[in-house]
Amino acid sequence: MKSLHSYCKILIVSILFFNVQQNIFANDGKTEIFTPYTKVSVSPGSTVNYSLDIINNNEQTINENINISNIPRSWNYTLTASGMNINKVAVLGSKKQTLKLKIDVPYRVKKGSYTFYAKLGSIASLPLTINVTTAGSNESELTCDQKNMEGTSKSNFSFNAVLKNKTATKQQYALMASPPRGWSVTIKPNHKQATSTEVDANGTKNINYTIKAPSNVKAGTYKIPVKAVSGSTSAEMELEVVITGTYEMSFSTPTGLLSAKITAGDDKKVELVVKNTGSTKLENIELSASKPKNWEVSFDNKKIESLEPGKTSTVYATIKADKKAIPGDYVTKITAKTSEANQNLSFRIMVKTPMLMGWLGILIILASIGGIAFLIKKFGRR
Amino acid sequence: MISIATKQTNPFGVIVSKEISDTVKSWKFIIMVALVLLTCMGSLYAALDDFSAAIKGGSADDDFFFLKLYTHSNGTLPSFLVFISFLGPLLGISMGFDSINTEQNKGTLSRLLAQPIYRDYILNAKFLAALTILSYLFIGLSLLVLGFGLIFIGIPPTTDELMRIIIFSIVNIIYVGFWLNLSILFSVKFRQAATSALAGISVWLFFTIFYSMIVNLIAKGLAPVRFISENQMVSFQRFVQNLMRFNPGQLFNDVTTTLLRPSVRSLGPLTTEQTIGAIPNPLPLGQSLMLVWPQVVALIGGTLLFFAIAYTMFMRREIRSR
Repeated sequence: MKSLHSYCKILIVSILFFNVQQNIFANDGKTEIFTPYTKVSVSPGSTVNYSLDIINNNEQTINENINISNIPRSWNYTLTASGMNINKVAVLGSKKQTLKLKIDVPYRVKKGSYTFYAKLGSIASLPLTINVTTAGSNESELTCDQKNMEGTSKSNFSFNAVLKNKTATKQQYALMASPPRGWSVTIKPNHKQATSTEVDANGTKNINYTIKAPSNVKAGTYKIPVKAVSGSTSAEMELEVVITGTYEMSFSTPTGLLSAKITAGDDKKVELVVKNTGSTKLENIELSASKPKNWEVSFDNKKIESLEPGKTSTVYATIKADKKAIPGDYVTKITAKTSEANQNLSFRIMVKTPMLMGWLGILIILASIGGIAFLIKKFGRR
Repeated sequence: MISIATKQTNPFGVIVSKEISDTVKSWKFIIMVALVLLTCMGSLYAALDDFSAAIKGGSADDDFFFLKLYTHSNGTLPSFLVFISFLGPLLGISMGFDSINTEQNKGTLSRLLAQPIYRDYILNAKFLAALTILSYLFIGLSLLVLGFGLIFIGIPPTTDELMRIIIFSIVNIIYVGFWLNLSILFSVKFRQAATSALAGISVWLFFTIFYSMIVNLIAKGLAPVRFISENQMVSFQRFVQNLMRFNPGQLFNDVTTTLLRPSVRSLGPLTTEQTIGAIPNPLPLGQSLMLVWPQVVALIGGTLLFFAIAYTMFMRREIRSR
């Protein structure tokens, strides 16, 4: 017990001694203003919050005006405690009082160091420095947990990104994307298409980027940078889309006309166009036809060796109708086929009967009229 | 003045107009007009009674619904087409059966021949006058149906439909002309008008009722065994059909059906392989006409043939006064 008492005594004495020591070294006026961060670097438009401790080391109470001096005129500041604006502050002896200082750094401000003073009457003064830097990228963040997607040229690539505003103010972000030519990017914050969005201080927003490749895109990897830029901060990331090759083709006639007239037994030459609409080379395109019985369909080029994406090839088909085809409309189906894709074309062919029979009939009628004319001449006119 | 002068100088025209005026004033004409009006009303009733059901269809003929006026029937009365195929021969026979023999029996023929005219003028004028009257009647009948149809339906026919109706009327006249010539032939051949009329009607009855029975009998006799190939069946059916086509009524039906039902693409039987790839689609008018052109030629040819026979007979006949 005794030893414990003596330990306590030593401790108290030493604390007292230390305190006296500090008071002597810290401030002549025995009163000081304290904040831990006296020099901060911020970007324009930010708000700096200080917590100012006014420490009274005297035995007596002090009651002094407090003000901020040397602050640029366009900057706003508020000095509050318990929700009230403070102009004058009283501190009991050997106590401290905490005030909150909020400084709004305007957007339009030159880069550089700004020093101002928090002054308590003429007793104490604390220099504070704010270093205004350029728009810092670390103040906003655009992230996406799945930045890479794969699909065909027909797919829609939907990326769900998160935009985080780390600044102390609400930020209005312009949303931008710079896709390669022909690509389209739809930006949807809050599920609605938009070009800008607002994010609360320290808040986040989900942004959906829907990317569509042009239909004739070649297979490969494409990078699409997307950006969110506010007045003071910006964030960007790169989305990656991998297009796999597609095998597609279109098959038609140059005019799009898919009908023809043909006399039974005759033939007709039809121009056909095969186009590679996919994103990879097509090889060995074979042409075939399903046709009515006894009809003939021949091609001048039955097989197209290879066709590059976007290129076309012309083939002539000769359709020969059956000699005994009854008149009317028929369908002939022509198919272009590779092992990967096929496309068919229904060709409507109107068959007409040959005029020969018609002329024969007219001849018979004329002959019988001639016979009657002969009769009239022979018997009737004598 | 000029028209009178030309009439005076052209005895043929005089005979024709006299024949026409005689017929128009006769009871025969009134009966014929009454028949025509009844036909018109009857077929219109048959067609329009359930016309909305007829055009609901879903068939290839839907685009041609005005033509349905001529072909559709509600089942209680025959359609216009069937009426015409009865009425045509009947009117043709009635206009011709007494043309020559009555003149001869009355003794007016020799008096007529005493005039300075060619002898064949009489026969030609008789034929032409009768055909003119029949043409008026049948064109009038078609137009009546067309007009009433317009009133009831309210939608005008398309150009294609109108052309089909006009050609249909022309084919009607050719068909009637065929029977007219046949009955003129009988009137030259038989002295008695009653015999001539009976002969004409007998031929008509034979073809409308008995001929198809006879052909069916022959077909049954010749029918191949049950298990034959499709092609053999088709060729047998073609043979039977060709036998049927000796009947002028069958030819007329072929023509009118094809004209008024544009979806008819073939009149004979078809093998299934012929129909592969064919779209059930109406034919254009030209192609419909090409399809039945042989039938039309046969009808015209028959008409001209009977005229030629009647003509030769008449010209070689010795005509004396009673």
